[in-house]
Amino acid sequence: MNELHGIIFAYHCNPLLRELTQHRTTSSIPYGGRYRLIDFMLSNMVNAGISDVGLIVHANYQSLLDHVGSGKDWDLSRKHGGLRILPPFSYARKRREGGTYRGRMDALVGVFTYLERIRQDYVVLASGNMAANLPLNDIFEQHLATGADITAVCSARPHSDPRLANYFIMDPDGTVSDVVVRPSTPCGWESMEVYILSKQRLMDLTEHCAAHNAPSFSQDVLLSMVHRLKIVPYLFNGYVAAPSTVADYFARSMELLDPAVRAELFDPARPIKTKDRSDPSTYYGPNSRSNHSLISDGCIIEGEVENSILFRGVRVDKGARISGCILMQSTHICENAVLSHAITDKNVQVNSGRMLMGHKTYPLAIAKDAIV
Amino acid sequence: MKKKCVAMLLAGGQGSRLRALTAHVAKPAVPFGGKYRIIDFPLSNCVNSGIDTVGVLTQYQPLELNSYIGNGQPWDLDRSDGGVHILPPYIKEGDSGTWYKGTANAIYQNMSFIQRYDPDYVLILSGDHIYKMDYEKMLRYHRQTNADCTISVLEVPLEDASRFGMMNVNEKDEIYEFEEKPKNPKSNLASMGIYIFTWSKLRKYLMADEANPKSKNDFGHDVIPAMLTAGEKLVAYRFSGYWKDVGTIDSLWDANMDMLSYDNGIRLFDSEWPIYARTPTRPPHFMGEHASVSHSLVTGGCEVDGVVENSVLFHSVRVEAGAVVRYSILMPGTVVRAGARVEYTILAENAAIGVGARVGTPPPPQNESEDWGITVVAEGVRVGENAVVPAKAMVTRNVKGGGSK
Repeated sequence: MNELHGIIFAYHCNPLLRELTQHRTTSSIPYGGRYRLIDFMLSNMVNAGISDVGLIVHANYQSLLDHVGSGKDWDLSRKHGGLRILPPFSYARKRREGGTYRGRMDALVGVFTYLERIRQDYVVLASGNMAANLPLNDIFEQHLATGADITAVCSARPHSDPRLANYFIMDPDGTVSDVVVRPSTPCGWESMEVYILSKQRLMDLTEHCAAHNAPSFSQDVLLSMVHRLKIVPYLFNGYVAAPSTVADYFARSMELLDPAVRAELFDPARPIKTKDRSDPSTYYGPNSRSNHSLISDGCIIEGEVENSILFRGVRVDKGARISGCILMQSTHICENAVLSHAITDKNVQVNSGRMLMGHKTYPLAIAKDAIV
Repeated sequence: MKKKCVAMLLAGGQGSRLRALTAHVAKPAVPFGGKYRIIDFPLSNCVNSGIDTVGVLTQYQPLELNSYIGNGQPWDLDRSDGGVHILPPYIKEGDSGTWYKGTANAIYQNMSFIQRYDPDYVLILSGDHIYKMDYEKMLRYHRQTNADCTISVLEVPLEDASRFGMMNVNEKDEIYEFEEKPKNPKSNLASMGIYIFTWSKLRKYLMADEANPKSKNDFGHDVIPAMLTAGEKLVAYRFSGYWKDVGTIDSLWDANMDMLSYDNGIRLFDSEWPIYARTPTRPPHFMGEHASVSHSLVTGGCEVDGVVENSVLFHSVRVEAGAVVRYSILMPGTVVRAGARVEYTILAENAAIGVGARVGTPPPPQNESEDWGITVVAEGVRVGENAVVPAKAMVTRNVKGGGSK
């Protein structure tokens, strides 16, 4: 049995992502033509041989449940272990009704009985809101080698709004000496919010935080215990995308048109898996034209597409022109419609002759199921 | 548990007429239509028709086919009761075991498998046809007509009848005669190789057939004629719609080209009758700056920067800038390097065409030439820089650069 257990925090619902999180959590936002953000962390874990994964959700998670199902597309539908969805058990009754978790420690307190039953000695805590292809095995090996209490994965490439990120200041000996929580300007190493620690340590910290009504992992564990715990960073050099606003989502998506980015994110040695939809191949019509675009299976393209990302099952009819757009699953662009810098969510239909223009600094997002 | 109907899929054929394409895989495992393998069609038809117990009879190059089918999950055939089962020939107590001698013998050797489900009916399928068919409707017809055996038939032009097994029927579509590839056909109803038998009847005839040392143990050759002679009720079930035997290079190429038109009768995009496949995880395909793709199918993981016309690209194919691909089928993992030209060709998995090479040619203007045909490059073969591979060639070894083979 693998010694690592995975816990993914998938309860966030970032309001800055507007239309994109209207019907779903941040972790189930479609990304990269055929994936949801959650696919990356799930695949990272499975690719590291992790067989048991807990997915912490709170509200608005129907879309996420639809997507992960029993976990079979990640080989996580198992007799023992496998994927466990963790809604807030008795949490709502004990605390206030509604609302959401106040922080990750609050969430872990909410699923404490689950933590007790973890079969593995070590746990990786990770955000489900991020696209990155992480070598979790290497990170785990470093964790064992350094004898750290907590290994914190950091990014060598700044990828977030600093006001939403945590940073680590390093001692000369390579351990973390200070933690900076959501500063206005970046300082030190940016955290990817992926941590490895022992199950025992996790239980102790969760009990401690429950007793002290301390809900935040960043504030109440990392920051307040930085001098008591040996926190060692792991520097990850690869591509990271953790979209925080619609414009940021748009920019991070368009980076995928760069072959170097795709090579890092879709490393064939660690494939990113997603829900299987049994689509046929994409059909290109006789007078279609498609350039510099990432296009998924199951599309029918008879118009013109450039600098765009098309998800599965998109239709672009004759005479339609798509430029700099992200068209999510089953979008239908009718004849002669013109779209530029738009994001259409699932099942959007844009009728013939419509013109929709956004800008890369303010892409036009059209909510799920809308008919324009 | 008892099942109403169990399907038996004959997938042991060597597919010798596909030659280079079946050197390492059984015919039913040959890639088809961008996303599929041939066997996906009968398997998906079973599932869509509500048949959840399928035996797949294999004996030739089974590795690829076995690993493809696996536990049957892509077709929802991973069942605790029933599901898909691979059935190779095996050694029985007291004999040394034999290969499947013929189609009927293959079923005979697996009678105990069928008996476990105690079915009322058995559906016999072959793994080399492309079609969509609701077997449930055919089964209903079999029961309504109170037949012992129902054979699915397709109307074909009389001039083509000499290529098929033909069913001669009376005014009630009851079969009174079966003729294999007749010179002077009496009917235009061709057998599609799809049979429904009432299991108790089939069992009896399989045992009699096995006991007959002169029999070739083949359904068309022996079992059907024996049933006709004995006066059993055999009826023809008329099917209309797309159906294609893909047993030759030309028909395989043709059928792939058919998939390019939306109204081809197969309608791959129809979500009411999906064709399932085991598909590897690949990111979306990328269309480069210089890509020009028309009337073609392109699949996940491809990187296209050249010209692609009237072609089918399977997953993970690379067509570099300046390369031209026309009327061709590029199976998974193939590479066409810059400046190469590939026309009227089937590239088997992982074949690589070097910079500036020329593979295949368009048909000559008067398309009567015996020398022209589809070019085939076998699995993993490398065609060197500026090499020329002529029409109708079947390349099974690496071709050196610069010269012709």
